[in-house]
Amino acid sequence: MNIREMSVNGQRIIPPLELSMEKGNILGIQTNVQRKKILLAQFAERRDIYLSFAEQGEYTRLTVEELLRFMKSLSDHNQPVHSMLQLFQLGEYRKVKIADLPASKKIYLSLLRIYYAQQPIIVLEEPYFQLEEPDQLAFARLLEELSEEKQILILTANLEDALISCDTVYRLDEAGLHLLDITDADDEMETRDEPGEAEFKIHKIPTKKNDKTILFNPPEIDYIESINSSAMVHVAGETYACALTLAELEERLQHYGFFRCHRSYIVNLQKVRELITWTKNSYSLRLTTGKDSVVPLSRTKLAELKELLNI
Amino acid sequence: MNVSLKRIQAIFIKDYKEFSRNYAVSIMILFPIAFALLYRSEAGDQAAIYAFIMNFSLAMLTSFVQACLIAEEKERNTLRSLMMTPASMLDVLIGKSALVFLISAAVLAFSTYLFGYETSNVMLLTAALGISILLYTAIGTICGLYSKTLLEASLSVFPVLIIFTAGPFALVFEEQYPFLEVLRYLPSSQLSELLVAMEIGAAAGELATPLIIITVWAVVLTVISFILYKKRLMDQ
Repeated sequence: MNIREMSVNGQRIIPPLELSMEKGNILGIQTNVQRKKILLAQFAERRDIYLSFAEQGEYTRLTVEELLRFMKSLSDHNQPVHSMLQLFQLGEYRKVKIADLPASKKIYLSLLRIYYAQQPIIVLEEPYFQLEEPDQLAFARLLEELSEEKQILILTANLEDALISCDTVYRLDEAGLHLLDITDADDEMETRDEPGEAEFKIHKIPTKKNDKTILFNPPEIDYIESINSSAMVHVAGETYACALTLAELEERLQHYGFFRCHRSYIVNLQKVRELITWTKNSYSLRLTTGKDSVVPLSRTKLAELKELLNI
Repeated sequence: MNVSLKRIQAIFIKDYKEFSRNYAVSIMILFPIAFALLYRSEAGDQAAIYAFIMNFSLAMLTSFVQACLIAEEKERNTLRSLMMTPASMLDVLIGKSALVFLISAAVLAFSTYLFGYETSNVMLLTAALGISILLYTAIGTICGLYSKTLLEASLSVFPVLIIFTAGPFALVFEEQYPFLEVLRYLPSSQLSELLVAMEIGAAAGELATPLIIITVWAVVLTVISFILYKKRLMDQ
């Protein structure tokens, strides 16, 4: 699937992309709201994609059963309604009007419209955002089942949501797609136990989010911050906890152009755009990643930094 | 664009259930009935009063319900997901229009019975009312397409109600203001003229003219509503 380049006010938002999708592998793209909207607008032009929007409304005066019957006859679906009710675990709500459903169930029901889609590709916008946990699990299970027949893509601004059911997760920014290296917590334990050569150097920075371990390439990282003596890795506006201490990180990263600019900050010098002087003794570094990414620079480190950058 | 009877039926049933459970909209079927009961005992100018009730009911019931059905679908973003099912835009429009037509026809027939209107030519009356229902459905579609919410739709019907229902009454001032002559060509004025002409037993030629004018209105407005419907939905 190809995605066209898109620019706003002369600034490139999305480069031309090529996505390879396949059945049985749920794809996730984590990106910001603006890029998400652009992608959705491009997908909407295609006839072979079924789009499930986050603000999808519902026929609130129908009962659950009536809605499913309506969807069935609209899309020539061959499964009888009662077996779909069972599959969706909505048996007890059969006769309940959609307006009277709990909020989470209402959204769950709207999402289930994808089961009636005839298009080979299904794109979901923020499916998990407003679901309660039991419904998230139920939907993730259904999605996995459905992915045997359809190619599924999830667009979300929130990485945690993508992790619920995606097999492959990409992060999208102005440079393009970046594959996120994800391993389950259990898998990682096994590899750790392996008695290997201790000399083997790890270049990736392991971080944790929702029991998943995500490995970042050092150049991806914007900066690292120490909050309550635990390191938080900032990547494209998202934060990830890292078990290493700042001192350990500094040692690992110094060969990648990182710099300890403050007692509790390490910054990726490749991403520094501007040196801001507030007063004679107070400085900050502005990063290229966004307007609000500003990292403090302590006075004692200024000389060292100037030397490093030859200024 | 392919049209499937099964899908039209599914939309018809869905909209019927939604209509019957939305009391803010379905209460409209009481207006024609209430008016018929209110005016039934009135002596004298039967045809003119009956024409007024019919004109009022067509705007208040047919246009209003159609506009609300379309606007509500837009308001809840369900139209967009409907477009991604095999159902075509025409399926949706025909399903809704068929429902509105049947409801209007039943209610108008019932209020005619309550009013006790008797005519010499049932065929002609049925044809005139049937074409009028189509015409007001098209107006309702246009109103629905230009409104984003249910509230807007119910308000947008009022100009229609005022122009079309009050049109025949403004003809009283025709001598003072000659330009009001145009109002004579409103479908509501024509329906009124037709009914009066039928009562005094006019010749066939005289009866044909109003019917033709109403038909022209119906055809033109239906075509406009189709074009707008297609255009407005593409824009979404």
